[in-house]
Amino acid sequence: MALPLPPGLAQAEVAFLAEMELVTVVPRQRLESINLLSGRTPVLRPPHRAPLPLWLALLLKKQRRANIVPPPWLHPTSLSQIIHRETKEDPTAFSAPPPPPSRAHPSQPGMAHRPAADANLSPPFLPSCTADAPAGYLPYHWLEVAEALLAHAGDDMAAPPGEVRGLLRDLVEVRAAKMRSSTSALEGFGGGLMSLRGVGAMELAESRGFVLGVVDGVRRIGASAEATRREEEEMGGRREDDEGSDDDMGI
Amino acid sequence: MSYYDIDSILTDAEKIPCTFQLDIPDLGYLDNNPSHTLKSGTRIQLPLWLAEMLAIANTGSLDEQAKSFVTFDLPSALGNDVVQALKADPRAVPLRDQSPHFYGLATHMMDLSEEQELAAVLRKTFVTRASEIALHARKVGGANQHGAKGQADEASNLGVGGAGEEFLRGLDEWERKLFRKAHDGTRAGKEWMDSVKKR
Repeated sequence: MALPLPPGLAQAEVAFLAEMELVTVVPRQRLESINLLSGRTPVLRPPHRAPLPLWLALLLKKQRRANIVPPPWLHPTSLSQIIHRETKEDPTAFSAPPPPPSRAHPSQPGMAHRPAADANLSPPFLPSCTADAPAGYLPYHWLEVAEALLAHAGDDMAAPPGEVRGLLRDLVEVRAAKMRSSTSALEGFGGGLMSLRGVGAMELAESRGFVLGVVDGVRRIGASAEATRREEEEMGGRREDDEGSDDDMGI
Repeated sequence: MSYYDIDSILTDAEKIPCTFQLDIPDLGYLDNNPSHTLKSGTRIQLPLWLAEMLAIANTGSLDEQAKSFVTFDLPSALGNDVVQALKADPRAVPLRDQSPHFYGLATHMMDLSEEQELAAVLRKTFVTRASEIALHARKVGGANQHGAKGQADEASNLGVGGAGEEFLRGLDEWERKLFRKAHDGTRAGKEWMDSVKKR
């Protein structure tokens, strides 16, 4: 009652967490390794690419000490491919999240490995925004990373930032419309499954209140019908049990 | 339905049509007929909380003549014509004109009497209207936040039409809460997007 905050993460918190994502930078100056809470950063040597957390990469970018390599899924070709998939190929579902890192090692084709014990396979820690992320898949923090990169590293984009921004807007609108219509899955009794696979963190933060409100409303409308159904089931169950025990006796 | 929930309290004050089953002395003022006996069979609009009490309670005698004080019907907000209209097109019915606490009243009535069909219709209505509400919440946010400035950078280029306002005026309290939630989410998203650019 006292805490006015809604459940779940707010947009600002999601954006803060997204700054932990790794992005690939091309340094312009040498920089020794820094000992961060999340581990040591790699030593930056000018022509060599290195993965850095987004917040550090943005800092270096602002100081003109590094350029950021945008992730492949932020390329206009990849974005329009995703939009095509969302609108034409599968107009009801959200496009799938990126696949987990391959177990096959490029140096040993045909040999599948068990991933290393310390390999991170859960979405927040996947290197899904670096330069070697797969194209055509939106990672969990896609909107936050894309907005941050467009705002602060627009000149590093593979295409004019305006074009990328336009495609992103389209994608946001398409997916928001899907989020709205996904509630109609709750229409009939017995159904009531909403698949949120592939939905990004920021989209979740935006529609959490609404979706929870709809689900709660449907629950309250169905509450009395549910109660009577349970009662009937209980009565019926008891009768069936009796019959069952009779059968057992017969055998 | 919490004890402190103001909407729950207001829902309990909604009037529903009741029929008295007994003659009750000196209760005639309920029917604008003071200092007379309230005749059995009189139809009076009673608030929900009172009707519920009187319908559940009975005369107390143990023989078979024990009957409840009143019987109640569905209020006009949940009447047949409204349900038919909702079946035809949920979006076209201004629920607020029926009752400001339409869903609250409906769920309460369904608790008191078995209305399987009503539950199905209401569920469909709520869900269909919910997606419409979300659409309007998104639109309104765009219009209010950026209205005059920066049309090019607009996340949503849809304006609010007259039909939209008409629809929003017809929302009941549950739906208004839903609208507020959807709108808050969209607005926070927009605020964040602006803050990214400023930083």
